[in-house]
Amino acid sequence: MQLSNPDPSVLARRDMIVAALTRLVPDGTISRPAGLAAYDGDALTAYRQAPLVCVLPKTKEQVSAVLRFAAAEGIAIVPRGAGTSLSGGALPRADAILVGLARMNRILEIDFENACVVAEPGVTNLAITRAVEGQGFFYAPDPSSQIACTVGGNVAENSGGIHCLKYGITTHNLLGVELALPGGNCVRLGGKASGARGFDLLGIVAGSEGLLGIVVEATLRILRKPPVTRTLLAAFDSVPDAGSCVGEIIAGGIVPAAMEFMDRRCIAAVEDYCAPGYPQDADAILIIEVDGVADEAADELRCIVDIARKAGATELREARDDAERAKIWAGRKAAFPAMGRLAPDMLCMDGTIPRRALPKVLARMAEMAEEYGLGFCNVFHAGDGNLHPLIIFDVMKEGELERAETFGAEILKLCVEVGGVLTGEHGVGVEKRDLMPVMFSEGDLAQQQRLKCAFDSAGLFNPGKVFPTLSACVEQGHMHVHGGRLPFATIPRF
Amino acid sequence: MCTAGVCRLRLSRGFEPMARLQARSESEVIDAVAAARARHSTLEIVGCGTKRGFGRPAEADDELDVSALSGIVSYDPDELVITVKAATTTAEIEDALGRRRQRLGFDPADWGPLFGEPAHTATIGGVLSADVCGPARVRFGGARDHLLGYRAVNGWAESYKAGGHVVKNVTGFDLPKLMCGAMGTLGILTEVTLRLVPCAALNITLVARDIGPDEGLALLRRVWTSAFGATGLAYIPGLLAAAFPELGAVGRGAALIRVEGGRVSLDEKMAGIRALAPRLHLEEADGEEMFRSIGDGRAFIGKNLDVWRLFLPPRAAASCPEEADSQVWLADWAGGLLWVATSADDHASARRIRAAAAANGGYSTVLRAGKVTRRRIPVFQPEPPLLAALSRSVKAAFDPLGLFNPGRMYEGL
Repeated sequence: MQLSNPDPSVLARRDMIVAALTRLVPDGTISRPAGLAAYDGDALTAYRQAPLVCVLPKTKEQVSAVLRFAAAEGIAIVPRGAGTSLSGGALPRADAILVGLARMNRILEIDFENACVVAEPGVTNLAITRAVEGQGFFYAPDPSSQIACTVGGNVAENSGGIHCLKYGITTHNLLGVELALPGGNCVRLGGKASGARGFDLLGIVAGSEGLLGIVVEATLRILRKPPVTRTLLAAFDSVPDAGSCVGEIIAGGIVPAAMEFMDRRCIAAVEDYCAPGYPQDADAILIIEVDGVADEAADELRCIVDIARKAGATELREARDDAERAKIWAGRKAAFPAMGRLAPDMLCMDGTIPRRALPKVLARMAEMAEEYGLGFCNVFHAGDGNLHPLIIFDVMKEGELERAETFGAEILKLCVEVGGVLTGEHGVGVEKRDLMPVMFSEGDLAQQQRLKCAFDSAGLFNPGKVFPTLSACVEQGHMHVHGGRLPFATIPRF
Repeated sequence: MCTAGVCRLRLSRGFEPMARLQARSESEVIDAVAAARARHSTLEIVGCGTKRGFGRPAEADDELDVSALSGIVSYDPDELVITVKAATTTAEIEDALGRRRQRLGFDPADWGPLFGEPAHTATIGGVLSADVCGPARVRFGGARDHLLGYRAVNGWAESYKAGGHVVKNVTGFDLPKLMCGAMGTLGILTEVTLRLVPCAALNITLVARDIGPDEGLALLRRVWTSAFGATGLAYIPGLLAAAFPELGAVGRGAALIRVEGGRVSLDEKMAGIRALAPRLHLEEADGEEMFRSIGDGRAFIGKNLDVWRLFLPPRAAASCPEEADSQVWLADWAGGLLWVATSADDHASARRIRAAAAANGGYSTVLRAGKVTRRRIPVFQPEPPLLAALSRSVKAAFDPLGLFNPGRMYEGL
């Protein structure tokens, strides 16, 4: 992945920009190198880039003021929540203002009768559930980073998580937002009511990866916590058996709350890391969770056990209490850090495939790992076919980063080839930007870019993310050309 | 394939006859749009024509009949995904799904008869474009939550695809959301891919009779915010009970609660719901027909009434009819949706309804009214100026010349 060269005319104005932002957000403008180093990237750790300047507004008025200034000066904006994006969605630019929303962290309203919470964008995902669990409610999207990631970032990335198989991803649990548009004006989309209201712009904002605006307030649906949760660990001595078990469960009309897959290598890594007690002789395990009223959960679990036995499960172990359940999940949730111990660097891929293609894709990925000579394991949301192959490598070893990225790209191409998509929940960001043409034709991408131009004709919001080229606003006659130069002329366009 | 004839010549723009064009494939749709671009003429996109009475009256020069774009392209029951051509009737789709005990989660209603058109002829493209969701929306979400991907022709006469064929996908902008409820103003859908929901083994409806709106809707909200996963939560006031003969006498009104599951889990859910309302007597009934009737708006069929749909925070539902001075109403989605009827062309009531919905943090849509009313009163709640400007930009990003269904959503858009 090639990062763009910064626009020298912006760099030349840096002192003026810092002074102006300091006036707008006096206690939250970071301009010293030591301070900026803390904001030089996100969870796509292979890329680092300090921002031009970082500003941490505390109110929506401050966000608006910053955006107004940036628009007037023609300076790009990179929005950031907690910086946990795995696709580089919050990767700064040397010529852009990084707008961090983490200080806007108040829950504004909890409305149990309308089953929703109104929150500022910097509230963490887990804080929503923490705020309502005393009354028996929870917020369903639960990305692995939920202790740190923010709801604003969740909206931008349309985050999923382990339990989205049954409860949906962010867009299905989002009722409304207030969005600060390029230029600083704010619009309200949706609210506490659901149903079609004009164009569904809320649906577009979810997953827009910071290209359309900044969420300054979100209204989130909360759900009643199911009274009973049951968790099953199923071990298999072949990966295809585990894959076919997944397909049979879905085809059987059962929608578990979660259905997770881990392969042998991952099982071994997490055992070394936190000893969750997974069967060490298994080639693959599935963690399957059902929830609901007691009899419903029991019924579903019975069916699942039957299907797993027929699919060749060698061991079936149900968590007997919350402690055992927590132990089973601890291993799954530790998969990233556990694999991360095996090598200095890791790439986490994120394609989705039709569930029926699981055995084929898993087998092909194992062959590819051999070909590329890189460490690799599979841990993923099996129920919705959302793969997370983890590739481990050492960026200091010559050629390994390139080899890891090529391997990752080949996996994603394979996902598209079998009828799937490039990303199921991590977003395109910079990581998969150049792969977009694998899935979308020029015309498909042009249509998406025209929508981008409808919100941001000057192309100031998170430039260089998602789209491999920046041509649409020109076609539409919307591109903001300043002083006879194309905006961000230095961004590679290929 | 649609059989209800829409072959009629109408007069628009003085004496110039409206041409009725037909497209039988995506490439013919492209040709038709290219021709419209060349002629600077606008198109009303028509599937089987069951919802032509919804929205502002079309101001198009010509009519483009796409009803021949019909048929199931692929159905993969094991993946819970189906791909169909856009003018396939929902009846045909539901028939195919039913044989594999699956269904469309957004529970598309059949509004044909409500608009004086035949039943069972609505096309999936029209249903998605008008966001026609029935009672089970309360549990499974709207049309937007089930459209995974589509193919369409835009205002440049180019076909493109958006979204995908798998249930979890965040690759690029989520354009399928935008097409749902856009009333065909952003392009011509040619093919759609939908996620499916397995049918439950059984369902049953609990009925609380002679219950007032405050108490009835409070009960529905308690069940809605419980873990019992109700797939129908409606309140029918006594005044409207006659429209539901299956229901019998209801006194002040009836609260209907539909739950699904296996035999054993149904018993447990019913016991749990009864425990939420220990003082109420909840009868068991087969509510399928009643809920279908609610979704289809059958209470208003053949009556000379204007029909509104109000989308509200559920807590506001009980007081809203009184604030709007409405006598004829019923509630669905635990109060998230109010159907309200007024005398035909009663513009004073229309103003009160719109104001009441807005004051409660909701919004209102004219579902059925005469052409005069639909021209005079915005069918969709007007947007604040900044949002309206953004909507115009979005429209231009798909249809820069304004070829598709001009004026159908908002005047001038």
